[in-house]
Amino acid sequence: MTSTARWLARRLALSVLVVVGAATVAFGALQVVPGDPVHVMMGGAAPSPEVYQQTRHELGYDRPLPVRYGRFLGQLLRGDLGRSYQLHRPVAEVIGSQLWPTVQLALAGFGLAFVVAAALAVATAGRRSGWRRLSSAAELVMISTPGFWVGVLLLTAFSFRLQLFPVAGGDSLDGLVLPAVTLALGLIGVFAQVMREGLERALEQPFVLSARARGSGETAVRLRHALRHALIPMVTLAGWIVGTLLGGAVLVETIFSREGLGRITATAIAGRDLPLVTGVAVVAATIFTLLNIAVDLLYRVIDPRMKEVIR
Amino acid sequence: MTTPKLAIPRPEAADAEPSPATRRPPGSARRWLSRPPGRPRRLPWRRAGRSGRDNRRIGPGVAISALVVALVCLAAIWPGLLARADPNAVEPVDALLGPSGAHWFGTDQLGRDVYSRVVHGARVSLFIGVGATGIALFLGCLVGMLAATCGRLVDEILMRITDVLMSFPGLLLSLLVVAVLGPSSTNAAIAIGLSGAPGFARLVRAEALVIRQAGYVRTAVTFGAGRARVHLRHVLPNAFAPLLVLALLSVGAAIIAGSSLSFLGLGPRVPTAEWGSMLAQGKDFLTISWAMAVFPGLAITVTVIAINIVGRDLQRRSEGRHPSGTF
Amino acid sequence: MNTRIQGGGRRTRAVRRTTSLVAVLALAGVTAAACGGSDDASGTPAADATPVAGGKLTYATIQEPGCLDPGYDPSTVTGVINRNIFDSLVSQTATGETKPWLATSWTVSPDGKTYRFSLRDGVRFHDGSAFDATAVKATFDHAVDPATKSLYAGALLSAYQETRVIDPRTAEVVLERPDATFLQSVGTPSLGIQSPASLRRSAEELCTKPVGSGAFTFVSWTKNRDLVLAKNTAYQWAPDAASHDGPAYLDGITFQFISDDTARFGALTSGQVQVVNNVPAANIRTLKANNSLQYLRADSPGLTFSLLLNPTREPLSDVRVRRALLRAVNLDELVTSVYFGEYRRAWSLLSPTTIGYDKSLEGTWKVDQALANRLLDEAGWTERDGDGFRTKDGKRLTVVWRTGAQLDRDSRGVVAQGVQADAKKVGIDLQYISEDVGTFSQHIFAADLDIWGGSYQRPDGDILRFAFASDQGITKGGGNLYGLNDATLDRLLNEASTTTDTAVRTKNWAEAQQYIIDNALAVPLTVGANLVGASEKVHGLRFEQSSNLAFFDTWLDPTK
Repeated sequence: MTSTARWLARRLALSVLVVVGAATVAFGALQVVPGDPVHVMMGGAAPSPEVYQQTRHELGYDRPLPVRYGRFLGQLLRGDLGRSYQLHRPVAEVIGSQLWPTVQLALAGFGLAFVVAAALAVATAGRRSGWRRLSSAAELVMISTPGFWVGVLLLTAFSFRLQLFPVAGGDSLDGLVLPAVTLALGLIGVFAQVMREGLERALEQPFVLSARARGSGETAVRLRHALRHALIPMVTLAGWIVGTLLGGAVLVETIFSREGLGRITATAIAGRDLPLVTGVAVVAATIFTLLNIAVDLLYRVIDPRMKEVIR
Repeated sequence: MTTPKLAIPRPEAADAEPSPATRRPPGSARRWLSRPPGRPRRLPWRRAGRSGRDNRRIGPGVAISALVVALVCLAAIWPGLLARADPNAVEPVDALLGPSGAHWFGTDQLGRDVYSRVVHGARVSLFIGVGATGIALFLGCLVGMLAATCGRLVDEILMRITDVLMSFPGLLLSLLVVAVLGPSSTNAAIAIGLSGAPGFARLVRAEALVIRQAGYVRTAVTFGAGRARVHLRHVLPNAFAPLLVLALLSVGAAIIAGSSLSFLGLGPRVPTAEWGSMLAQGKDFLTISWAMAVFPGLAITVTVIAINIVGRDLQRRSEGRHPSGTF
Repeated sequence: MNTRIQGGGRRTRAVRRTTSLVAVLALAGVTAAACGGSDDASGTPAADATPVAGGKLTYATIQEPGCLDPGYDPSTVTGVINRNIFDSLVSQTATGETKPWLATSWTVSPDGKTYRFSLRDGVRFHDGSAFDATAVKATFDHAVDPATKSLYAGALLSAYQETRVIDPRTAEVVLERPDATFLQSVGTPSLGIQSPASLRRSAEELCTKPVGSGAFTFVSWTKNRDLVLAKNTAYQWAPDAASHDGPAYLDGITFQFISDDTARFGALTSGQVQVVNNVPAANIRTLKANNSLQYLRADSPGLTFSLLLNPTREPLSDVRVRRALLRAVNLDELVTSVYFGEYRRAWSLLSPTTIGYDKSLEGTWKVDQALANRLLDEAGWTERDGDGFRTKDGKRLTVVWRTGAQLDRDSRGVVAQGVQADAKKVGIDLQYISEDVGTFSQHIFAADLDIWGGSYQRPDGDILRFAFASDQGITKGGGNLYGLNDATLDRLLNEASTTTDTAVRTKNWAEAQQYIIDNALAVPLTVGANLVGASEKVHGLRFEQSSNLAFFDTWLDPTK
């Protein structure tokens, strides 16, 4: 086995631990959280004692905690996420149906933020112009303004007043514009700073000098040679980005009345919907760990020196 | 076209970076990590040394920002000094008034003075921001140092635990914590602090691992200093110092996270004035009385901007860079 | 709009979609989609227009159902949606009269325990199967089956014994005891007739893919987004209460779930949806001023939005403290300001459109903070602490009002802060705690709160029994949150529920309302109303006798 294959096998094994750990944390949190899941599951209706007992039994709440945890783990390892208490559907189905709108939103938000930030970075890196100042100021404002507030302002201006975009939901592309912009605005500031810094560093490299010596124009140098190198630190951010996108999705989906994983998870936490919360934890942890492995793998491939560092 | 810049001395790229997959916005942190080990870093406040006058100059942007931060702190400690009116005095007949001489920022739907509430709201918002950062910093240092010093196994276990916590999107982790603890400003700070702790833990660990290799630490070991003593006296302070600036920057992020919790209805108890919940309430009246939402919104943005500018300025100084920057 | 049915005081003991604890927890939630028959006719378009078939209607609603099995789910919005998918044996007119629907006629045995229904011929379910007596049996058996875990329909059939299939066109329902409300219960969407084939499916499928015989068929339901219904073109069995026969006018209805007040109203003004419920009071002026929109409102019957005080523990166990709280709140000013005059202040625990409302209470307990202060002094809360709150033996006069964060609708959190400020003026430290719903339910079931604020919907004063009778404890599915055991209330309310003498009922309910105010067991705050906004295109939108919005007669004006 090559060292990379061994490394990969070890990382994958560890990531299973992380995923089970995440599910356990969610499971544990919902055990100590106040509130009887059966009562909450009933949508707050006071059930008759018989219905209450039967539901408790069906959900397994009449068994001791270790037994429940064991069953939970067994199910999880078989790939069974259980059934949502509140939605009366299998968790896998719920997540399956809610994942795509969130992924759509996240991709759109990320793509937008990436393009805008790259443009800002290319235009302003290493320059002390008025544009740089303006760009930095704008980035600062974006970082410093709560996303939900931006969303509300956009909604008021472009949906209520100008009526350019639908107020709520919708599969259509125009329904995605404002939510994606809201999500992107929170990221642009960070992205632009990271890329600008990377770009400035790349511009000092010898290959840039030689490109310039060959007579390439400044824009060409920046786009063709330097930008690629400036993107490497962005890869480092992958995990952070995923977390921010998912967390941001809770707010954006709430403001724009969109369906999606973020909003359904927030509701599930409030509703003590244990299978759904643990299911989302599993999915989030899986995405997170796989992404990290991919990033580290990429580093190993790009730069063999990293083998020493990335265990 | 500007002149190509060829010779700004910059630290080299992150060869020694222990985990490229760190989930922090890296600008600041990575720069710290990328510095060659071997010399204790200068603390932000010990800036007067080498670079002399240049480094001590304070730009107008930074000065204004520092003033804003000072003002917010004053409002948090002694709000009565800035606003005389009772922030909780309900006067229904005066509801939803626009800004005027009597009510600088107008009134809310119960006729409370928005200016006074914004001033009094500084306390809770700042408390959440500072409290959350403090908790994240403390837990991060604890876990990071333990991971760096207690051997491979402990390191592995602790890092996997931080992985688990990091794999939860921050806001959802906060929601879960608030569900367990109940909503209040203290619990909001705990919830946000917990979701920030893993990031700090990783940074402290990385930093400590680098510093451990530094010459002066090795020297200390050579001269027979105990393991715990070396870590407490030499490694921790040097790992900690760069984090302080990062912590200042994360206060701003925590204030925003706190306001997001309030927006989802899980902020501090009413009638406590808090910017996030004022904003959340005001947004329903945006078309009727804009002032109600706009001023708390501005308070958040301006405060966080000011904190960021001051933080970055300190960061540049602590790194010995020219502090002029953008502002 | 001319077809709108007037309800209100003429309603008899109609069994409204009331959900026991849902109301306890959901506070505004239940009020959401429901609305009493209204006499207010503002904004109704011309009456003489001829209905035109075609077009799809989108209705933005604040609530989303949990499950579409009418036998299981108790929430109001489920009833509104299911009314279009399921038909019932009987229908109810505006005046509360029971009219034929899937049953063409019926007879009641002299002992009042056996109902024999003759069933309509030619009715088909959406799955193609024919409607007959076995469907009636299957539906009712499903509702009372413990495995269904019914949260509402089962309670409606509490007297149910069995259904006998006499022949395909005749079904006989046998009750264990006479039940005067039985026919009305049968007319609710909760007992809408389901396809027997459909009932054999799993609970999950019943929840997500309802199959009835109604004027609209279920198409799809995307959680957190919308639920789509399409016209059932084969529909020829409209209820007698409707104003036209044959299929519905609309080609389809989309229920869009928009929980945010501002966004929901914005969806109406921007033309994205044609009807919205729960228009924020602050936006009513905008709605009225807009000529292309119409405004419909209906006061909600039942329990007003009130504070139920916990007399079983300190400090509200002292009637003087409770009275002080009752008299400390300046409701007139607060309600007018918060709701822009769209909601009225309440004088009794029952709302004015409820059968049994005691009008004589009006004006009897105006705000009097001097009296409140005197009462608190008498009760021994004479010291003041640094924050200006009263104390006794070093203990602060603190009362805790809990609510669920996700349930704060209708600006109730704002009213709460107004009440809080008034309480502070007389030295009471009223803590309004908005917590996560799960935690809140925990506190409810442990009775760990001094104040519960919320409303219930029901057509008559029997709701008082639900909230106060000693046998209606919360663990028994009732609404007596604090486990009160008050002999006077028990006598008045239980007698009212069993007697057939309307005069006795009215008298008992009136006495109970006065008793509650005299003993300050509750602080009534506002009379809830459902504020509906609709596009001018929409015609024939009516409030049902059950006070839900009904869409069967609704049509869209293509010229607008």
